[in-house]
Amino acid sequence: MRKGWLRRINWIGLATPAALLALWELVVRAQIVTYQFFPAPSAIFAGGVQLARDGVLLEDLTHTLLSIAIGWSAAMVIGVSGGLLLGFSPRTRSYALASVDVLRPVPGIAFAPVGLLLFGFSIKTELTIAFLPTLWPILMNTMGGVANVQPRLIDVGRTFRLSRSEIVRRLLLPAALPSIIVGARMGLGLALVMSIVAEIVGNPAGLGYAIVREQQAMNPDSMFACIFLVGFLGVALNAGVVHLTQAVWPSLQNVRPA
Amino acid sequence: MTMADRVFECRSASVSLRLRDGLRPIIADISLELRRAEVLSIVGPSGTGKTTLLRMLGGLLAPTAGRVLASGKDLSGPPEGVVIVFQDYGNALLQWRSVAANVAFGIERTLPRAECDRRVAEALSMVGLSDRAQDYPWALSGGMQQRVQIARALALQPSVLLMDEPFAALDAMTKAGLQDEILRLRDKTKASFVFITHDIEEAVYLGDRVAVLNGSPGRIEQIVDIDLPYPRNQVTTREMPDFLAYRHRLHKAIEHA
Repeated sequence: MRKGWLRRINWIGLATPAALLALWELVVRAQIVTYQFFPAPSAIFAGGVQLARDGVLLEDLTHTLLSIAIGWSAAMVIGVSGGLLLGFSPRTRSYALASVDVLRPVPGIAFAPVGLLLFGFSIKTELTIAFLPTLWPILMNTMGGVANVQPRLIDVGRTFRLSRSEIVRRLLLPAALPSIIVGARMGLGLALVMSIVAEIVGNPAGLGYAIVREQQAMNPDSMFACIFLVGFLGVALNAGVVHLTQAVWPSLQNVRPA
Repeated sequence: MTMADRVFECRSASVSLRLRDGLRPIIADISLELRRAEVLSIVGPSGTGKTTLLRMLGGLLAPTAGRVLASGKDLSGPPEGVVIVFQDYGNALLQWRSVAANVAFGIERTLPRAECDRRVAEALSMVGLSDRAQDYPWALSGGMQQRVQIARALALQPSVLLMDEPFAALDAMTKAGLQDEILRLRDKTKASFVFITHDIEEAVYLGDRVAVLNGSPGRIEQIVDIDLPYPRNQVTTREMPDFLAYRHRLHKAIEHA
């Protein structure tokens, strides 16, 4: 078991960043590159450890995770149900898709002033910024997944005398599931990005604000540590969703993307 | 012929579809019956409404005029014991399910687990795919995938299989193997088959009778009784003078429309 786990690690993939970090360390130490606030990876690591020891990092991380959890969950509920509605009903599409298409290109950050006016410096402002960008990929992928299901599957359901609701549950939803999951993963990534952005420009809390705070305190070591942490958080969240879907629907990994 | 021998019957049935330029007649005045345990081939050039005819028999399309009866009763939707096997097996199979789970699809809601498993195993062995039960459809060849679809229909123990050009996308050797499989399955299950094809030789080889669909809208021009000995053989049957005569006659029938 342990051996299998070791084999699953992409050692070559790890070697590339390791080499880049080593190079970075080298050019800073050898003073080939000299900026006042450009620390070496070792210093950044120490800065991260320091933040963690102070307990600040955990607090920042918890806040950002909370923001992601709320924003993504809300976007999943509304995006999946709205996407199903739009996907199944051409009539709903005629009513609503034009409005969706107008809202979709608006960058989430454009809602920062709105959030600040309405909610001040609070997590509500953060969610105002993060919600729509998180919603769109979930909504659009769910809608596309349902609307593009091979119509032959409906014939199959009918020839086996399934009711309409059985056709939806047993054929159309499973056929659309891979695309819904793609939307969920894209949405999660955007929930992270937009929460960080919102914390930088709107709500002074979480990892996003931590980056600004450490910069203003002239702590580049800690600032870079926070940036790296955001990256690792993104990888961890994505891996989490992948493992969760594999646990819930083990057969999905056997399905080739259409 | 008694009523009980007549599993399907069309009486002057027509189907018109509502298209952009109005109502267009696709098939018209179709009268034919399907007998127990027979293979009725329906042959015709493309665009004569073969698929429409099959969808009407399968209850996916209601006739806009005339009547369609299954076991003496007017159709209202897909009738019990009648299953369609589609040409595009890739779309008709459930890609997220294993072969065995695909075959179970039509029976898993209604039958107890043990009976369901038994029938899946039986259907898979009938089409020679017992050892591929746990594979996924994409891991199979086209011919195997089409056999999965046939097994899925057989698991239901249907009285009628409606097959819409099921072998059109397959290579000649696979096709020949599956044709013989159909004849074997008919003998074993006593089910009736409606076999749509544009391949005249295939229609003659498989059919107890061959109906010629032709024109626009498509009409049944003639129904030919095929009096060739059983078991049919891919080499010797196809060399028989009678086989060639049927083939000749059907070619002429289609050309002269």
